[in-house]
Amino acid sequence: MITLLEAALLGFVLVSAVATILLRDVLAAIVAFGAYSLGLAMLWLTLQAPDVALTEAAIGAGVTTILFILTLTKTVRPSEDSVFTPINWPAAGVAVLFAGALLWTVPAMPAIGDPSAPAWADDVTQFYLESGYAETGVENVVTAVLAAFRGFDTFGEAVVVFAAGVAVLVIIREEQFT
Amino acid sequence: MSNHNPETERVERPYTESSVIMTTVRIVAPFVFTYGLFVMFHGASSSGGGFQGGAIVAAMVLMLAFAFGIEPTQRWFKNTAIVLLATGGVLAFLFIGVGPLLLDGTFLEYSAYGFKKAPKYGIEGVELGIGAIVASVISGLFFAIARGFEYTEGQQ
Repeated sequence: MITLLEAALLGFVLVSAVATILLRDVLAAIVAFGAYSLGLAMLWLTLQAPDVALTEAAIGAGVTTILFILTLTKTVRPSEDSVFTPINWPAAGVAVLFAGALLWTVPAMPAIGDPSAPAWADDVTQFYLESGYAETGVENVVTAVLAAFRGFDTFGEAVVVFAAGVAVLVIIREEQFT
Repeated sequence: MSNHNPETERVERPYTESSVIMTTVRIVAPFVFTYGLFVMFHGASSSGGGFQGGAIVAAMVLMLAFAFGIEPTQRWFKNTAIVLLATGGVLAFLFIGVGPLLLDGTFLEYSAYGFKKAPKYGIEGVELGIGAIVASVISGLFFAIARGFEYTEGQQ
Protein backbone atom coordinates (compact mmCIF):
# COMPACT_ATOMS: atom_id res chain seq x y z
CA MET A 1 0.00 0.00 0.00
CA ILE A 2 1.01 3.62 -0.37
CA THR A 3 2.36 5.50 2.62
CA LEU A 4 0.82 8.61 4.14
CA LEU A 5 3.54 10.77 2.56
CA GLU A 6 2.87 9.38 -0.92
CA ALA A 7 -0.87 9.82 -0.47
CA ALA A 8 -0.36 13.44 0.65
CA LEU A 9 1.92 14.16 -2.33
CA LEU A 10 -0.51 12.51 -4.76
CA GLY A 11 -3.32 14.61 -3.31
CA PHE A 12 -1.21 17.78 -3.64
CA VAL A 13 -0.34 16.97 -7.27
CA LEU A 14 -3.98 16.27 -8.07
CA VAL A 15 -5.25 19.46 -6.43
CA SER A 16 -2.63 21.66 -8.12
CA ALA A 17 -3.38 20.01 -11.50
CA VAL A 18 -7.10 20.73 -11.15
CA ALA A 19 -6.29 24.27 -9.95
CA THR A 20 -4.16 24.79 -13.08
CA ILE A 21 -7.15 23.87 -15.24
CA LEU A 22 -9.80 25.83 -13.37
CA LEU A 23 -8.06 29.10 -12.43
CA ARG A 24 -9.18 31.93 -14.70
CA ASP A 25 -6.15 34.17 -14.23
CA VAL A 26 -3.22 32.95 -16.34
CA LEU A 27 -0.56 33.97 -13.81
CA ALA A 28 -2.39 32.06 -11.06
CA ALA A 29 -2.59 29.02 -13.35
CA ILE A 30 1.18 29.25 -14.02
CA VAL A 31 1.90 29.36 -10.27
CA ALA A 32 -0.38 26.35 -9.71
CA PHE A 33 1.41 24.55 -12.55
CA GLY A 34 4.79 25.23 -10.90
CA ALA A 35 3.43 23.80 -7.65
CA TYR A 36 2.24 20.74 -9.61
CA SER A 37 5.75 20.18 -10.99
CA LEU A 38 7.31 20.58 -7.55
CA GLY A 39 4.88 18.04 -6.07
CA LEU A 40 5.64 15.66 -8.92
CA ALA A 41 9.40 16.07 -8.30
CA MET A 42 8.93 15.15 -4.63
CA LEU A 43 6.79 12.20 -5.70
CA TRP A 44 9.60 10.95 -7.99
CA LEU A 45 11.93 11.21 -5.01
CA THR A 46 9.69 9.02 -2.84
CA LEU A 47 9.56 6.54 -5.74
CA GLN A 48 13.40 6.44 -5.64
CA ALA A 49 13.93 8.13 -9.00
CA PRO A 50 16.26 11.00 -7.97
CA ASP A 51 17.52 11.59 -11.52
CA VAL A 52 13.99 12.22 -12.78
CA ALA A 53 13.21 14.28 -9.66
CA LEU A 54 16.20 16.59 -10.28
CA THR A 55 15.14 17.18 -13.88
CA GLU A 56 11.49 17.70 -12.95
CA ALA A 57 12.41 20.25 -10.28
CA ALA A 58 14.83 22.21 -12.48
CA ILE A 59 12.97 22.03 -15.82
CA GLY A 60 9.34 21.55 -14.78
CA ALA A 61 9.13 23.79 -11.74
CA GLY A 62 11.96 26.21 -12.62
CA VAL A 63 12.61 26.81 -16.31
CA THR A 64 9.09 26.15 -17.64
CA THR A 65 7.49 28.44 -15.06
CA ILE A 66 9.86 31.30 -15.87
CA LEU A 67 9.38 30.81 -19.64
CA PHE A 68 5.59 30.94 -19.13
CA ILE A 69 5.84 34.11 -17.02
CA LEU A 70 8.16 35.62 -19.65
CA THR A 71 5.59 34.86 -22.35
CA LEU A 72 2.88 36.35 -20.17
CA THR A 73 4.77 39.67 -19.86
CA LYS A 74 4.78 39.85 -23.68
CA THR A 75 1.03 39.41 -23.98
CA VAL A 76 -1.98 41.21 -22.62
CA ARG A 77 -3.35 39.85 -19.39
CA PRO A 78 -7.03 40.73 -19.11
CA SER A 79 -8.21 41.52 -15.61
CA GLU A 80 -11.02 39.18 -14.66
CA ASP A 81 -13.58 39.36 -11.91
CA SER A 82 -14.25 35.63 -11.69
CA VAL A 83 -11.69 33.39 -9.99
CA PHE A 84 -12.54 30.21 -11.89
CA THR A 85 -12.94 29.63 -15.58
CA PRO A 86 -16.27 28.17 -16.76
CA ILE A 87 -15.97 24.44 -17.35
CA ASN A 88 -16.21 23.18 -20.92
CA TRP A 89 -18.26 20.05 -20.22
CA PRO A 90 -17.68 18.15 -23.51
CA ALA A 91 -13.91 18.66 -23.12
CA ALA A 92 -14.08 17.65 -19.46
CA GLY A 93 -15.98 14.49 -20.48
CA VAL A 94 -13.30 13.56 -23.02
CA ALA A 95 -10.56 14.21 -20.44
CA VAL A 96 -12.30 12.05 -17.82
CA LEU A 97 -12.81 9.24 -20.37
CA PHE A 98 -9.15 9.40 -21.38
CA ALA A 99 -7.95 9.39 -17.77
CA GLY A 100 -10.30 6.48 -17.07
CA ALA A 101 -8.88 4.51 -20.01
CA LEU A 102 -5.33 5.12 -18.71
CA LEU A 103 -6.25 4.21 -15.10
CA TRP A 104 -7.88 1.03 -16.40
CA THR A 105 -4.44 -0.22 -17.49
CA VAL A 106 -2.84 0.43 -14.08
CA PRO A 107 -3.76 -2.96 -12.51
CA ALA A 108 -1.89 -4.66 -15.37
CA MET A 109 1.40 -3.10 -14.23
CA PRO A 110 3.71 -5.21 -12.05
CA ALA A 111 3.93 -4.30 -8.37
CA ILE A 112 6.83 -2.07 -7.24
CA GLY A 113 9.78 -4.34 -6.45
CA ASP A 114 8.25 -7.39 -8.17
CA PRO A 115 11.27 -9.57 -9.15
CA SER A 116 9.42 -11.01 -12.15
CA ALA A 117 8.63 -7.54 -13.63
CA PRO A 118 9.65 -7.51 -17.32
CA ALA A 119 11.98 -4.52 -16.89
CA TRP A 120 13.84 -6.30 -14.09
CA ALA A 121 13.81 -9.92 -15.28
CA ASP A 122 15.12 -8.84 -18.70
CA ASP A 123 18.56 -10.19 -19.68
CA VAL A 124 19.78 -6.76 -20.79
CA THR A 125 18.92 -5.20 -17.40
CA GLN A 126 20.76 -7.93 -15.54
CA PHE A 127 23.76 -7.53 -17.86
CA TYR A 128 23.90 -3.77 -17.15
CA LEU A 129 23.63 -4.32 -13.40
CA GLU A 130 26.21 -7.12 -13.30
CA SER A 131 28.88 -5.67 -15.58
CA GLY A 132 28.17 -1.93 -15.17
CA TYR A 133 30.77 -1.30 -12.50
CA ALA A 134 33.32 -3.78 -13.85
CA GLU A 135 33.29 -2.27 -17.33
CA THR A 136 32.93 1.44 -16.61
CA GLY A 137 34.07 1.94 -13.01
CA VAL A 138 31.19 4.30 -12.18
CA GLU A 139 28.97 3.56 -9.18
CA ASN A 140 25.77 5.04 -10.62
CA VAL A 141 24.46 2.42 -13.01
CA VAL A 142 22.06 4.94 -14.60
CA THR A 143 25.05 7.02 -15.68
CA ALA A 144 26.88 3.89 -16.81
CA VAL A 145 23.95 2.97 -19.08
CA LEU A 146 23.39 6.52 -20.37
CA ALA A 147 26.97 7.55 -21.04
CA ALA A 148 28.66 4.21 -21.78
CA PHE A 149 26.40 1.31 -22.82
CA ARG A 150 23.95 3.55 -24.66
CA GLY A 151 26.30 6.48 -25.18
CA PHE A 152 25.43 6.70 -28.86
CA ASP A 153 21.76 7.41 -28.00
CA THR A 154 22.85 10.03 -25.48
CA PHE A 155 25.03 11.68 -28.09
CA GLY A 156 21.95 11.90 -30.30
CA GLU A 157 19.97 13.47 -27.45
CA ALA A 158 22.69 16.03 -26.78
CA VAL A 159 22.70 16.98 -30.46
CA VAL A 160 18.89 17.28 -30.36
CA VAL A 161 19.20 19.87 -27.56
CA PHE A 162 21.82 21.74 -29.58
CA ALA A 163 19.62 21.56 -32.70
CA ALA A 164 16.65 22.91 -30.72
CA GLY A 165 18.67 26.04 -29.90
CA VAL A 166 19.68 26.46 -33.55
CA ALA A 167 16.12 25.84 -34.74
CA VAL A 168 14.66 28.56 -32.51
CA LEU A 169 17.24 31.06 -33.80
CA VAL A 170 16.28 30.11 -37.36
CA ILE A 171 12.56 30.49 -36.64
CA ILE A 172 12.87 33.91 -34.99
CA ARG A 173 15.34 34.93 -37.73
CA GLU A 174 18.04 36.08 -35.41
CA GLU A 175 21.73 35.28 -35.41
CA GLN A 176 22.39 35.82 -31.72
CA PHE A 177 20.99 34.50 -28.46
CA THR A 178 21.66 37.66 -26.47
CA MET B 1 2.47 46.42 -33.02
CA SER B 2 4.20 47.27 -36.27
CA ASN B 3 6.31 50.10 -34.85
CA HIS B 4 8.92 48.61 -32.59
CA ASN B 5 9.61 51.15 -29.90
CA PRO B 6 12.06 50.18 -27.17
CA GLU B 7 10.88 53.02 -24.95
CA THR B 8 7.28 51.85 -24.69
CA GLU B 9 8.41 48.25 -24.31
CA ARG B 10 10.46 49.12 -21.27
CA VAL B 11 7.44 50.74 -19.68
CA GLU B 12 5.28 47.67 -20.39
CA ARG B 13 7.72 45.22 -18.86
CA PRO B 14 6.61 44.78 -15.24
CA TYR B 15 10.08 44.47 -13.67
CA THR B 16 10.31 45.78 -10.14
CA GLU B 17 13.45 45.69 -8.03
CA SER B 18 13.02 43.76 -4.82
CA SER B 19 15.91 43.83 -2.38
CA VAL B 20 14.67 40.63 -0.73
CA ILE B 21 14.78 38.67 -3.99
CA MET B 22 18.08 40.29 -5.09
CA THR B 23 19.83 39.52 -1.81
CA THR B 24 18.50 35.97 -1.66
CA VAL B 25 19.54 35.23 -5.23
CA ARG B 26 22.95 36.82 -4.69
CA ILE B 27 23.62 34.57 -1.69
CA VAL B 28 22.13 31.43 -3.22
CA ALA B 29 23.70 31.78 -6.70
CA PRO B 30 27.28 30.57 -5.99
CA PHE B 31 25.97 27.54 -4.13
CA VAL B 32 23.52 26.58 -6.89
CA PHE B 33 26.18 26.99 -9.60
CA THR B 34 28.54 24.81 -7.57
CA TYR B 35 25.76 22.27 -7.00
CA GLY B 36 25.05 22.21 -10.75
CA LEU B 37 28.72 21.47 -11.48
CA PHE B 38 28.72 18.86 -8.70
CA VAL B 39 25.69 17.12 -10.21
CA MET B 40 27.42 17.08 -13.63
CA PHE B 41 30.73 15.72 -12.30
CA HIS B 42 29.36 13.48 -9.60
CA GLY B 43 26.75 11.87 -11.85
CA ALA B 44 29.18 8.97 -12.09
CA SER B 45 28.99 8.21 -8.38
CA SER B 46 25.56 9.49 -7.30
CA SER B 47 22.33 10.46 -8.94
CA GLY B 48 22.49 13.20 -11.53
CA GLY B 49 24.45 13.79 -14.68
CA GLY B 50 24.93 16.25 -17.49
CA PHE B 51 21.27 16.89 -18.27
CA GLN B 52 20.31 17.46 -14.63
CA GLY B 53 23.38 19.57 -13.82
CA GLY B 54 22.94 21.66 -16.95
CA ALA B 55 19.28 22.23 -16.11
CA ILE B 56 20.21 23.38 -12.59
CA VAL B 57 22.83 25.83 -13.90
CA ALA B 58 20.36 27.18 -16.48
CA ALA B 59 17.62 27.55 -13.85
CA MET B 60 20.08 29.62 -11.80
CA VAL B 61 20.83 31.87 -14.79
CA LEU B 62 17.07 32.40 -15.18
CA MET B 63 16.81 33.15 -11.46
CA LEU B 64 19.53 35.80 -11.83
CA ALA B 65 17.55 37.38 -14.67
CA PHE B 66 14.41 37.14 -12.52
CA ALA B 67 16.08 39.01 -9.66
CA PHE B 68 18.26 41.59 -11.40
CA GLY B 69 16.22 42.19 -14.55
CA ILE B 70 16.71 40.52 -17.90
CA GLU B 71 18.69 43.29 -19.59
CA PRO B 72 21.57 43.57 -17.07
CA THR B 73 21.82 39.76 -16.93
CA GLN B 74 21.83 39.63 -20.71
CA ARG B 75 24.83 41.98 -20.76
CA TRP B 76 26.80 39.61 -18.51
CA PHE B 77 26.14 36.59 -20.72
CA LYS B 78 27.80 37.26 -24.04
CA ASN B 79 26.39 35.55 -27.12
CA THR B 80 29.89 34.26 -27.97
CA ALA B 81 30.15 32.49 -24.61
CA ILE B 82 26.76 30.80 -25.04
CA VAL B 83 27.55 29.66 -28.60
CA LEU B 84 31.03 28.46 -27.57
CA LEU B 85 29.57 26.43 -24.68
CA ALA B 86 26.90 24.82 -26.85
CA THR B 87 29.16 23.92 -29.78
CA GLY B 88 32.04 23.09 -27.42
CA GLY B 89 29.84 20.60 -25.58
CA VAL B 90 28.82 18.83 -28.80
CA LEU B 91 32.44 18.76 -30.03
CA ALA B 92 33.76 17.52 -26.65
CA PHE B 93 31.28 14.63 -26.68
CA LEU B 94 32.11 13.90 -30.33
CA PHE B 95 35.90 13.91 -29.83
CA ILE B 96 35.73 11.81 -26.66
CA GLY B 97 33.56 9.37 -28.64
CA VAL B 98 35.67 9.35 -31.81
CA GLY B 99 39.01 9.18 -29.94
CA PRO B 100 38.92 5.40 -29.40
CA LEU B 101 38.47 4.89 -33.17
CA LEU B 102 42.00 6.25 -33.63
CA LEU B 103 43.25 3.85 -30.96
CA ASP B 104 41.83 0.69 -32.58
CA GLY B 105 38.65 0.76 -30.47
CA THR B 106 35.02 1.33 -31.39
CA PHE B 107 32.96 4.52 -31.02
CA LEU B 108 32.72 5.53 -27.35
CA GLU B 109 34.84 2.58 -26.18
CA TYR B 110 36.46 4.56 -23.36
CA SER B 111 38.71 1.73 -22.19
CA ALA B 112 40.64 2.03 -25.49
CA TYR B 113 42.27 5.18 -24.06
CA GLY B 114 44.31 2.78 -21.96
CA PHE B 115 45.00 4.84 -18.85
CA LYS B 116 43.72 3.91 -15.42
CA LYS B 117 39.96 4.46 -14.90
CA ALA B 118 39.67 5.68 -18.50
CA PRO B 119 35.92 4.86 -18.75
CA LYS B 120 35.16 6.89 -15.64
CA TYR B 121 37.03 9.97 -16.84
CA GLY B 122 35.55 9.54 -20.29
CA ILE B 123 32.03 9.45 -18.85
CA GLU B 124 32.71 12.50 -16.70
CA GLY B 125 34.01 14.40 -19.73
CA VAL B 126 30.92 13.45 -21.70
CA GLU B 127 28.62 14.51 -18.83
CA LEU B 128 30.38 17.86 -18.63
CA GLY B 129 29.88 18.33 -22.39
CA ILE B 130 26.16 17.53 -22.07
CA GLY B 131 25.90 19.94 -19.14
CA ALA B 132 27.49 22.72 -21.20
CA ILE B 133 25.03 22.11 -24.07
CA VAL B 134 21.93 22.00 -21.86
CA ALA B 135 22.86 25.00 -19.71
CA SER B 136 23.82 27.21 -22.66
CA VAL B 137 20.88 26.27 -24.90
CA ILE B 138 18.26 26.78 -22.15
CA SER B 139 19.66 30.15 -21.07
CA GLY B 140 20.19 31.13 -24.72
CA LEU B 141 16.56 30.33 -25.57
CA PHE B 142 15.44 32.32 -22.55
CA PHE B 143 17.39 35.40 -23.61
CA ALA B 144 16.27 35.04 -27.23
CA ILE B 145 12.61 34.86 -26.23
CA ALA B 146 13.02 37.66 -23.68
CA ARG B 147 14.49 40.04 -26.26
CA GLY B 148 11.49 39.46 -28.50
CA PHE B 149 11.25 39.37 -32.25
CA GLU B 150 8.86 40.48 -34.90
CA TYR B 151 8.03 40.08 -38.52
CA THR B 152 7.40 42.84 -40.91
CA GLU B 153 4.82 42.07 -43.57
CA GLY B 154 6.29 40.39 -46.64
CA GLN B 155 9.67 39.65 -45.05
CA GLN B 156 11.47 36.71 -46.58
